[in-house]
Amino acid sequence: MSTPPDTRADLEDLLRSALEARAELVRPEDLSLLATAAPLRPRWQSPWVLLATAAVVLLILGVVFQGLAGQQRSDEIAPRPDQVELPPNVGRTWEVSEESSPARLDLDGDGVEERVEFLAEPTPDHDGRTRVQTTLSSTGEETYGLVELGSTIGVNALGPIDADADGDQELVLYTNALDGGPNAPFEPVVLDLREGLLVQAVSSSPELLSGGDVPVPGSETDHYDLFHAQSFLVEDGALVSTRSRSAFARSGMIQLAPETYVMDRYEWSMDSDGVLVAGEPGCRVHVPESSTACTADSRDDLPYVTSQSTDTIGVGEEVALEDGGLGYRVRVEAGEPPSAVVDGPGADGHVFGLDLPDPRVSTISPTELVSSDGASLFVTSASDPTLVQVVVETADQAGLVRLQPVGDIAFGTGTTDSGRAYRSWLTGAGVTVTVVEGADGSWEAWRWVRVGSAETFEMAALPWGTICFDDVEDPTTGQAC
Amino acid sequence: MDPAVDITELYAAHRLQLVRLAVLLVDDFASAEDVVQDAFAALARRPDAVKDPSKALAYLRVSVVNTSRSALRRRRTARAYTPPHDLSPPSPEDSAVLAEEHRAVIVALQTLAPRQREVLVLRYWSHLSEAEIARTLGISQGTVKSTASRALTALEKTMTSTMTSTTQTSSGEEER
Repeated sequence: MSTPPDTRADLEDLLRSALEARAELVRPEDLSLLATAAPLRPRWQSPWVLLATAAVVLLILGVVFQGLAGQQRSDEIAPRPDQVELPPNVGRTWEVSEESSPARLDLDGDGVEERVEFLAEPTPDHDGRTRVQTTLSSTGEETYGLVELGSTIGVNALGPIDADADGDQELVLYTNALDGGPNAPFEPVVLDLREGLLVQAVSSSPELLSGGDVPVPGSETDHYDLFHAQSFLVEDGALVSTRSRSAFARSGMIQLAPETYVMDRYEWSMDSDGVLVAGEPGCRVHVPESSTACTADSRDDLPYVTSQSTDTIGVGEEVALEDGGLGYRVRVEAGEPPSAVVDGPGADGHVFGLDLPDPRVSTISPTELVSSDGASLFVTSASDPTLVQVVVETADQAGLVRLQPVGDIAFGTGTTDSGRAYRSWLTGAGVTVTVVEGADGSWEAWRWVRVGSAETFEMAALPWGTICFDDVEDPTTGQAC
Repeated sequence: MDPAVDITELYAAHRLQLVRLAVLLVDDFASAEDVVQDAFAALARRPDAVKDPSKALAYLRVSVVNTSRSALRRRRTARAYTPPHDLSPPSPEDSAVLAEEHRAVIVALQTLAPRQREVLVLRYWSHLSEAEIARTLGISQGTVKSTASRALTALEKTMTSTMTSTTQTSSGEEER
């Protein structure tokens, strides 16, 4: 029976001997036969390349050397170490995530599909690495790869591809970040069998090989940024990605991608170094829930600015607002100045002074500019068509306030300091827009959205595309340029 | 340009020692092997991070200590979510037997805070100086000294408590 050490020196001696004894339980023969965690050889050091070099020498000597014809398989070619990384052999004891489905594909090109399992690194947030492993049917040897997919929950493969057309298949997974929102960018992860390991291919153009709303670098302003709508899929055994030709604006939860837009379509191949390379761009048109082939006149939807709300009320009139069923009424009462009086849910006679000459209130509400359910008014002047205001109910429904336009786009109608005409109106759908004349006669369309907090009462304009008008005073004459 | 260090050579020369170090820090063989594989993989990704080959072992040791700490943190938090169970096959050393007094020390060591355990392992098994331990853990020499002192006190206390409890249990069994 052991007893506690008597002195500190005894304790230190005991600790030394215990640590030594515990460490020596790990014997050299216990170590697993794992691959050395070293970079793959440069391609010129590959035995196949050396063999090919030897063949050239033999040919020079007049010896016919046969047998090297045909395309080499990717698992026989070492990629460049600065681009493709050898996976460390970790995670052999991780467990298969129950939410993941094994993939079946022919990794080694022998005509027999391997069953590939996904083992999850245990972490509290399920955001660890995933070990991808299988036993090769051609050799009976285990192969593995290690990837970071953002989440270890529900790892599933897309259909297999043969991006290097060498007869074996590559495994396609995709990142699955849990914290980026529904449109956060995500990428495919392509694993190729190389020198017995599942090695992650790298992309020569990663910005093109991504899905979701991919931000345009450098596009960020105080109130919005631009993004390309992108996607990727496996189509007929090929990895395909698409990207909207136009970049669209977004601010907070609002993003201005039209329903129909033209996309560049890229088909990806893998070169002998294990690098994914995009082919020449083709053309597709995104339509809701699908895509179609491009035609000669394919284009993005025009910005939805080709209608105008023209029905208004003035002093002494009252109307039930078209506000999407919120149920507000407004009347304009005489006074100095006249005032708008709003009744409805949470608004019992809220009053707002209309300091425009001959004020008119649109019968349609600019509902997009209310931060929560509440009344909203689009106010113009019968005698001065350059003036326009948006009035909204506060979030706590304490009263009505006027929204202040912020940013570079003027609100109303007039001419900018640089001599460009602009005009603002409310569309038939209750969207507040401004168009600004371009140098070539086209008009830039801008759409107003709330920015800042619910208490700052600010709105800013987001770019919404280009349109041409026969007569800008009549938005229904809008057409493609 | 050739990398400054030959990783294959380092792997052959130091893998066993590093796995042993990791075992003392994380307690199980499979995790220790993973930790060391990760350390070598990190060096393989950035071979130029170590310009001087003589410093490669120190670099790997830091990597093993840090990765071990991360592994312990992951394991500790993961256990809060799942019932404790071990489905992994028995490791080679499970069948071997530590002397009772050694086992008591190792068990007590596992109750220490990770930093305390690291200091004791680096000092009494790796035989590093206080300056080397300080560099490895990124702390001051004074902190190494005070951490070691507190760790020994805690270790002694735990061992005394455990052994006293074991002695009483044994006595009770003998009386019955």
